[in-house]
Formats: sequence, structure tokens, C-alpha cells
Amino acid sequence: MSLWRLEYLRLLRTYRLWILLGIFGFFGVLGPATAKYLPEIVERLGGGVEIAVPPASPELAMAQYLGNALQIGLLAIAFVAASSLAFDANTEMATFLRTRTSVAKILEPRYVVNIVAAVASFLIGSALAFVLSALLIDTPRIGGTIIGSLLVALYICFAVALTGLFASLVRSVPGTALLAVGALIALSLVGLIPVVSPWLPTDLIGGYDALIAGGEFVYWRAVASAVVLSIGAIALSVYRMEHREV
Amino acid sequence: MERCEQSLSARAVASRWTMERTAVNVRDITKRYGETVALDDVTLSVGRGSVYGLVGPNGAGKTTLLGILSGLREPSAGTFDVEAARIGVLPDTPRFDSWLTAREVVDLSRTLVAPDVPMSSVDTVLEQAGLSNVAHRKVGGFSRGMLQRLGLAAAVVGAPEVLLLDEPAAALDPAGRREVLNMVEALRGASTVVFSSHILDDVQQVCDTVGILKQGHLVYEGTLDQLVRNAGHEAAYAVRIRGDGEQLVELLKSYGWVSRVSLDSEVITVTASSGAVLERELIRSLSRADVPIVSVAPVERSLEDVFLEVTR
Repeated sequence: MSLWRLEYLRLLRTYRLWILLGIFGFFGVLGPATAKYLPEIVERLGGGVEIAVPPASPELAMAQYLGNALQIGLLAIAFVAASSLAFDANTEMATFLRTRTSVAKILEPRYVVNIVAAVASFLIGSALAFVLSALLIDTPRIGGTIIGSLLVALYICFAVALTGLFASLVRSVPGTALLAVGALIALSLVGLIPVVSPWLPTDLIGGYDALIAGGEFVYWRAVASAVVLSIGAIALSVYRMEHREV
Repeated sequence: MERCEQSLSARAVASRWTMERTAVNVRDITKRYGETVALDDVTLSVGRGSVYGLVGPNGAGKTTLLGILSGLREPSAGTFDVEAARIGVLPDTPRFDSWLTAREVVDLSRTLVAPDVPMSSVDTVLEQAGLSNVAHRKVGGFSRGMLQRLGLAAAVVGAPEVLLLDEPAAALDPAGRREVLNMVEALRGASTVVFSSHILDDVQQVCDTVGILKQGHLVYEGTLDQLVRNAGHEAAYAVRIRGDGEQLVELLKSYGWVSRVSLDSEVITVTASSGAVLERELIRSLSRADVPIVSVAPVERSLEDVFLEVTR
């Protein structure tokens, strides 16, 4: 039983992987379906009142997926990652692990497995949305979908790294998750400042819709900051946990 | 009692032999939490292969000291060495991921501390801990006693050179305690065990050396038989007489070297400030009394008596 298998079993036996797959899979189906059938739904529910609804398009289908999935999905990712990364929250469990190996070795599989699970869930949802959109409406731009999905995947890596950083600051799973989500929301508010926005990891999310809609790739600054901040957050979390008493 | 004394003496010899090579050295360790001093200038050494009992009342600093030795806490001052490549640690209330089986917990421990140790050792320690029949059950449903035994199995699976056990038998029923103490006893010589406990009977059964902590101070360190014989200051003798002892009790009370005298049927217990005073004065004083003396013998003090006296 290695630490890698421990994390794999944690995802499977506690149903965390199925929760992530369920959320992103559900919205992967729901996004194109609502884009396709929204006019009919609104017409039936409108009761004679005329409501303007944008026409169904692959861009709308993919945007619906991202908008819906990221709201609940990020919360789920933060809680799933916190339950693994905040292992110091339980003194006895921390004692078991920390007296047997280093903090870096404990955290390595936890970061990797959680990032892989979260990114894979998002990508599967995105792929589902792409296929359903192609079947129901029209095929989205494949290049834009791939690169846009990779940008959001990088943002998810940043979200997990941020969760790990908060796990090294507090000793509570819910506290860690809520602080991480709060920090991501605060970052998106900071992103309202036009000068700062291109440098923030939150700008990567906008890249998904924009690239699928045929926009240019202008996200190098956000990519660079997400990579640097993620590595920095992970390194700082390892340092802090190594120097924190149990 | 005789068997217990023989056992203590044998362990004392073993301790003298092992104390020549120490596995754990603590020098002038102080640990502060803000204004609170949890450990104050503690110095102790643990002989290689010995079983060292760390005893003391609640809040004496036992868990803090074990936390420092296991590398989980930093001392505020002082230094320590634990000369071991592998250290096994058992916290006072072990907990594991509830969705792991007992066998997986012990195997995880084996993989982390001693991947070279064969997988069969996992089943061996589970059997020693009395957990073979629940090896494939998830630990979420385990009682506290079962978790304690599982924690001990996970601590010993890597054949650690030094084992730090915090109250290992505290939550166990008598049969479980016996199993755990047997496991600890079996480690003597192969591993160095530092064993904290409130249960003095457990300490007496398995430890050859004890350190008594009181409010962060190490107030005694030595072998158990030395502790029982010499620690503290008071000593008592039992004088068995024939007939009425009231007159002798009054006589003894009149001597300045006597701390206390009590009469129970035909046995008078005489307590003095030290054993040496009693040995020097008691017989001389008894010879002055006109009472038939059947026997005079020192009163053996239990570890509990000594512990209470030292930590008073």
C-alpha cells in the first residue's frame, strides 16, 4: 500500500471521484441540451409573454456547460482537495503519516491525484458537451475547445494548489475549502480591474468561451501567472506544513 | 511479590547493561506554549533495548516529550538525539482513514517505514495484536481498543529501533491490555521502547527504567527497584507484637525521629523520615519496651505509593 494507492482508494471508496465526474458529466449533458431546447422551454413556461432567447449555437452550448459546471464544480473540487490536502486537521492521522515519511512525500500524490481527478472530470464534461453539441446543434471549433479546455484545466490546477496553501494555514477541512473558494471569488472580483485582469489566473476561464467563439489567443500572461502562482503555492504549502507542529 | 521482586531485579541488571549504550538522549529540553511551560529543563537518557516508562499525572508533559522525540514538535530550548533509522510512534488515541482495512493500515505503515520487510510481517503483527480475524474489515467500525491495538501493530511492523508509545494500553480491556503488554515485553532487547502511562501496574510489569514527570520537571529517573527502595524520603517498618500494643505506640510516638505510628490489631507500623534512621533507632527503642516482639520487617512500598510521594 503506497501513498499513491492510498489517494486512489480515497477517491474511489469515499465516492469523491464519482461526485466530481457526476457534476461535470451532468453539466456536460445539460449545457448543450438547454442551449438546444431553451427556446421551447421558455415558450412553454412564458405563458404568452415574449422572451428573447439567443438562438441555439455550439458556442452557447459550451458556454452553458462552463458557466454551470464551474460554479458547483469548483466548490466540489475545493472540498475534495481539502479533504486530502488538509491531513494535519486530524492530529492522530497526521502523526501516523508524519512520523513515517516527509511532508513532501505525503503531499506529492495528494496534489497529483486530486489535480488529475479534477482536471479529468472537467475534460470529460467538456468532451460530453462537445459531442452533444455536435449531435444536437453544430460542431464547436475543435481547436478552440481543446485549447480553451486546457486553459480551464490550468485554472483548476491553480485552484487545487490554492486549496493546498490554505490547508497549510488552517487545520480544518471545511475551513480550507471555504477559504480557497473565497480566495477564488475575491480574485475574480479583482479581475474587474482592466489593467490587472490579463495577469490573473481567473482570466483563463474567459479564454474557454472566447477561443470556442473564434477569438485570438491572448492568455500568455494569465498562463504564466497561473503556473508561477501554482508552483509557489505548492512549494509554500510544503514548507509551511514541514515547519508546523502537529 | 517475591516473583515481582525477582523480575524487577533481573530487569535492573538488564537496564544497567543497556544503559551503557543509550538510544535516546534528551538534554535540557524546555518546551513553552506562550506563557505555559510544558517541559522545563528535562534531561534523560534511555538505554538501548530497554523499556522506559514515562509516568506522571495529567499535564505533566509526557505527550509533549514524546511529540518532541518523534519529531512532531520543536523544543523551545535544549537538544535531543534519537539514535535510530526507524522510529515507531503510537499516539494515545490512534485514528486512521475509516475506509481502509486493518491490513491496509499496517501495510501502509510497512511500505512507508520498511518496504524491505516482507508482506508476511503484516499478518504476523496483526496476529500478535489479536486482529487477525478482522484484518480485512474497514477500521471505521473498530472500537477504541481495537484501534489502539491496530496502532501498535502499525508501529511495530517495520521493526523500529525506537518505539514511542503514548498510553498504549489506556483504552483496553484486561485481555487486550495483556496482549499489548506482551507485545511490548517481547520487544525488549530488540527495540528501545519509551512508554508513557497512567497505569502504574503496566509500568511495573514491562518497564525496567522509569522517568517521573511532574509539572514539566523530571523529578525521578532510575530503575524501578531503585525507585521503590530509595525514591522519596519516608520509610516504614512493621512491628508484629503479642498482646496490647497501646503502650508501645505511645512510647514510639514520644521519639523525635518517628514521623507516624499506627496500630492495626497486633501490627504496629512505624514511619520515619528515612530508612537509615529507622534501621538505627527502631530496634534500640523496641528493646526499651516491655512488649513481646514477634517480628520486625520493612514495609514494602508499592510503585503507586512512591509515585504519589514523589509527585505530591
